[in-house]
Amino acid sequence: MNEIVLMAHVLFGLGCMVAAVWLFVDVLHASEANLGRIRALSWGAAGLMWLAFVIGGYWYVTSYKVDKAIILKGPWPFAHNIVMETKEHLVIMLLLLVTYLPIVAYNNLAASKEARTLMLWLSAIIAVTALAMDGEGGLIAMGVKVGLLPR
Amino acid sequence: MDNNAPLSRQSIAFGIALAIASVVNALIVVVKEKSPTVMNGMKAVTGHHWTTHSALVVALFLGLGGLFTVLRKGRGIEIAASRLIGTLVSGVVLAGVIIIGFYLFAD
Repeated sequence: MNEIVLMAHVLFGLGCMVAAVWLFVDVLHASEANLGRIRALSWGAAGLMWLAFVIGGYWYVTSYKVDKAIILKGPWPFAHNIVMETKEHLVIMLLLLVTYLPIVAYNNLAASKEARTLMLWLSAIIAVTALAMDGEGGLIAMGVKVGLLPR
Repeated sequence: MDNNAPLSRQSIAFGIALAIASVVNALIVVVKEKSPTVMNGMKAVTGHHWTTHSALVVALFLGLGGLFTVLRKGRGIEIAASRLIGTLVSGVVLAGVIIIGFYLFAD
């Protein structure tokens, strides 16, 4: 069950990242015709991020200590000391960025170059940060794996 | 929202709030990791320091965003879009540098 919870966290996080990339492309071509989709995507990305955050946070608080002990005793203690420690705090900032998306999406993106530029920066930062978080998660999982391998 | 304004007052308000909350998030990391008193205090509030930390930062973002929206008798903050974007990006980058730099070099 723990592993399913963890995989749900990853799934929702990746969904948020895909939504951010999709948003970036849609905003590049913003018009009255796709404003509704841009706003829906913004809400979708925010919803996915909150799901990923709450599920991941729940797993972190209730179950991570087992993995942490394995990582710290293994050959990759940096997977916790640097990677998880940075991930658990950078992701709070990512949550704020994605929560901000629907607020910006309600500008008239078709008419306002300024709003489009802000939205492009925002969705790009979100996509890159989400990708980094996914990579960090992979490293942490590897830290557990190498900690369990016989030496 | 005024459809003629380049950016809504909420966009500006919450954008500035985001930049501030991001940097505060990073500073809380440094303070709690360096101070057992702060760390234990944060653990005591919700049972886990990370939960308290997250709640504080989200509350700060929402609170500041709401406050900045109603400043100047509801007119909000006036700032050029380019400056808002610069502030936002600077806040996010600075926060990232503090967090990553702290765990790489100072923890």
